[in-house]
Amino acid sequence: MKKILIVEDQPDIRKLIRMTLEFEDYEIHEAADGAFGLRMASAVGPDLVLLDVMMPGELDGLQVCQRIKSDPRLAGLKVVLLTARGQARDREAGQLAGADDYLVKPFSPLQLIETIDRLVAAA
Amino acid sequence: MDTTLAQPQADAAQAVLGLADPAMAQAQLERVIADLGRMYRERNDALRALARAHHEALLRLSIAAEFRDDDTGVHIVRMGFLAEALALALGQNAAWAKLLRMAAPMHDIGKIGVPDNVLKKPGPLTHEERDVMNRHAQMGADILGASEVPLFKLASEVALSHHERFDGSGYPRGLAGAAIPLSGRIVAAVDYFDALTMDRCYRPALQDAQALEMMAGERGRLFDPLVVDTFLERAEDMVALRERINTHRPQFSALLDDEPLSALAP
Repeated sequence: MKKILIVEDQPDIRKLIRMTLEFEDYEIHEAADGAFGLRMASAVGPDLVLLDVMMPGELDGLQVCQRIKSDPRLAGLKVVLLTARGQARDREAGQLAGADDYLVKPFSPLQLIETIDRLVAAA
Repeated sequence: MDTTLAQPQADAAQAVLGLADPAMAQAQLERVIADLGRMYRERNDALRALARAHHEALLRLSIAAEFRDDDTGVHIVRMGFLAEALALALGQNAAWAKLLRMAAPMHDIGKIGVPDNVLKKPGPLTHEERDVMNRHAQMGADILGASEVPLFKLASEVALSHHERFDGSGYPRGLAGAAIPLSGRIVAAVDYFDALTMDRCYRPALQDAQALEMMAGERGRLFDPLVVDTFLERAEDMVALRERINTHRPQFSALLDDEPLSALAP
């Protein structure tokens, strides 16, 4: 079963995302901040990480994304950024950080599941 | 139409729904997402059932076309499994190979549109009859191609391209080399081998060794050299697979299902 890691600080949003990903048969893991998310990514070996951009703590989503994409041990791991901000500048920052896709909050459950299905199927 | 509520009405609606209470709003969202998930799964199940029914109807039509030519219909099943095995041997991914297994048996569906006096003519065809016969590739592509479903798009590609030749002397478009889709190059070779090694009304089956030798002779002419080389390398496996199919006589429903090749255990 493909593994998805959700990194999102708000528990309510995390639950809505988890419920959406459960439309399909995924093994779902959760982390509440960037640093823990990064450790989980190494420990769990997910196929895809869904990363909130704006998170309190030492690492925000963009930094986590950069570290994942520059770590050869995590090669092939797909990253989708999720953010409340939808400006072109953020999308560019996400691309620069190496993100595979970029979704805006409030998220569309169908768009989320379709994006993740597509990326995980290609992985 | 103005759908915005006046503020007092909106407040009242929120209060009735309990949405002023954040916990209640969250609970309500979760119910909606759970319902959406149910609809999502039901939709996907319905689409799968629909695609399967469509596939089954087209396979039955392919068998009807095939019965007019060969009276067993097993050729169609062999085509699917042999094309899948060859695709895997060529390093294609399992998902595409499986799709080809499901698509390849429909390659000659266009023969349904070829009149009996041409299809079943015992002697050589006249130039005009040959033209009519050759139209089956395009007719097949037209029958299969009216769909956005990946399986039928691939099947349409196979029907259209399985009589193209690597050297460009085939039909209907006279494509050469890599301009011929890989699906068509694979199916052309498998079809050739399987047709030679089955009994026909006008001749008994050729020996495998002889058919393989003839295939080798068409390397780079009729067929993609890489496809021929791969087939010859794996000839023993291909023949063993064909024998398993002939022994087990799987129904065409085996082509529809998610069963891997290993389900056809020796």
